[in-house]
Amino acid sequence: MNTLLSADGIAKSFGPTRVLSGIALSVAPGEPVGLFGPNGSGKTTLVNILSGLLLPDAGTVRFDGKEITRLPLDARYRLGIARTFQIPHPYPALSVREAVRVALSAGNRGEGGGTREDEEGPAEDLLARTGLFNQRFVPCAQLSQGCLRRLEFARGLACRPKLLILDEIFSALSAADEEDLTALLRAANRDEGTAFLLVSHNPPLLKSLCRRILVLEEGRIVRERTV
Amino acid sequence: MRNAASFRAPKVSLRGGTPPARSTWRGGGWLAAGIGLLLLFPLSSPDAFFLDVFTTGFLLAVFAASWDVVGGVSGQITLGHALPFGAAAYACALLTSFAGWPLPLAVGAAVLLAAVVGAGIGTLSAPLTGPFVALLTLALGEIAHEVAVGHTFFSGPGGYAWGGEGGIPVALPWRDASPFSSYYAALAFLCLASFGMLRFLRSEAGLILRAVAGSPVTAQASGVPIARFKRLAFAVGSAFAGAAGAGFVLHVGRATATDLSLELSFQAATFAAVGGRGTIVGPVVAALVLHLLFQGLSLPPSARVLLYALTLLLALRFFPGGVVGTARDLASRPGGKEGGRSPRRRGRNRNGEGAP
Repeated sequence: MNTLLSADGIAKSFGPTRVLSGIALSVAPGEPVGLFGPNGSGKTTLVNILSGLLLPDAGTVRFDGKEITRLPLDARYRLGIARTFQIPHPYPALSVREAVRVALSAGNRGEGGGTREDEEGPAEDLLARTGLFNQRFVPCAQLSQGCLRRLEFARGLACRPKLLILDEIFSALSAADEEDLTALLRAANRDEGTAFLLVSHNPPLLKSLCRRILVLEEGRIVRERTV
Repeated sequence: MRNAASFRAPKVSLRGGTPPARSTWRGGGWLAAGIGLLLLFPLSSPDAFFLDVFTTGFLLAVFAASWDVVGGVSGQITLGHALPFGAAAYACALLTSFAGWPLPLAVGAAVLLAAVVGAGIGTLSAPLTGPFVALLTLALGEIAHEVAVGHTFFSGPGGYAWGGEGGIPVALPWRDASPFSSYYAALAFLCLASFGMLRFLRSEAGLILRAVAGSPVTAQASGVPIARFKRLAFAVGSAFAGAAGAGFVLHVGRATATDLSLELSFQAATFAAVGGRGTIVGPVVAALVLHLLFQGLSLPPSARVLLYALTLLLALRFFPGGVVGTARDLASRPGGKEGGRSPRRRGRNRNGEGAP
């Protein structure tokens, strides 16, 4: 099988606490993968390592055939790995459209992107696609949780990612928001071939969206289930 | 479940919504009125003292706005902003008096040096956050100040010494500049520099720097190389500070250690806090008003420092967004001129419910 992302022998400790040990996983291009586990099992730490926010103590991460273990978060984004945060950190002084333009400008730098004219159209398209068009002039700090998750999603899609890493993006959402984001995720996967690694506590949701579910317990992948 | 394909093509008008740009014209009107008054002021035959106070105020306003590029727009609180200002002042004085460079070349080199100094500070402070940036810049500024106080340059064996407490004179191609020409030159410099800094604030780089200031982790997760943009902010802000330093040394005719002092850095931060961080215009207005007020009253320096500190404390306590920030907040509140539309009228997605 072709591999888009692979991690091998990932280990991480915080002081005396071992959070991850011997993690090995892979994601194929366009493959929807779920990551399930109880609180404290190391899901967010693993996501942080895969997205470049944390360095592992041991192990390697490869993406598209290149080793990216020490590549920082921003470089991985430009490479095509986008992530969302469990708790969004919105820009307090920027509007929704400006937040998306930042991602478009920085994410497409070096590919002819980066000018205002290049970004206005794609920014408005992304905002319309994620249901944020009517809020595009609203400061990010004034958005509701549901809109913040949509904005996270729009930010993730701005770099036309090959892999989306979604950390609990469906938690604390209304049914309508969950339905919309589910539809968006399916569409990105089906129409653009975007693979995703979805972290969630919700087994029915994972089953409905993912082809494969990895179960993490006490820092180890203990089961892998094909749906 | 809703059809995904229909969701991807929502029927919304791409012309909907209201951009919050209505205040631009009002701001433009105030700006034109302010510049008009400043242009007419010398015609009211003020004495040379007041023209000098205004000229210094214009240069300090550029310096305060340059602090805002770093500390306001980019969120890198620097307490060593006098370093690029003083470095350019000293470079200008040394290059004209000691090396005999023509003035325009010396000014260009001084501004370039200030930008390089800024890029160096930005590189050193890039891995740091919050108070550690302030501490690093404070330390660098104080080191430069102590070196300037203690170091002398000799014109030759048996010659007189330059530097130290007495500073270094700048070799000017004119003898006695008229207070009127200095006033108008400084005003033109203020207008050009402010325009340049506002353009930078509204550029793509300015947008990204505002993002970095607001949430570094989200900016980085959006592909922004944080360290590179922090360095850019310091380089651009320092270049403008250097231009203000060169202007100042041309006005007073001598670079002294005061140009590198903590008091000067603190003054710029105070102007920005009072005027409104991240607005460029706010620090310019605050610098002009406070400098004219405190200097025009001919207060002793110790009283001025106390008044600056008191003003800063009052601003931080009652107007944390500064004058411009507070005015904007008031305008965007429900019932204010820009925020008057109710959430319902802004679109039914206001609370994330009922997507289009």
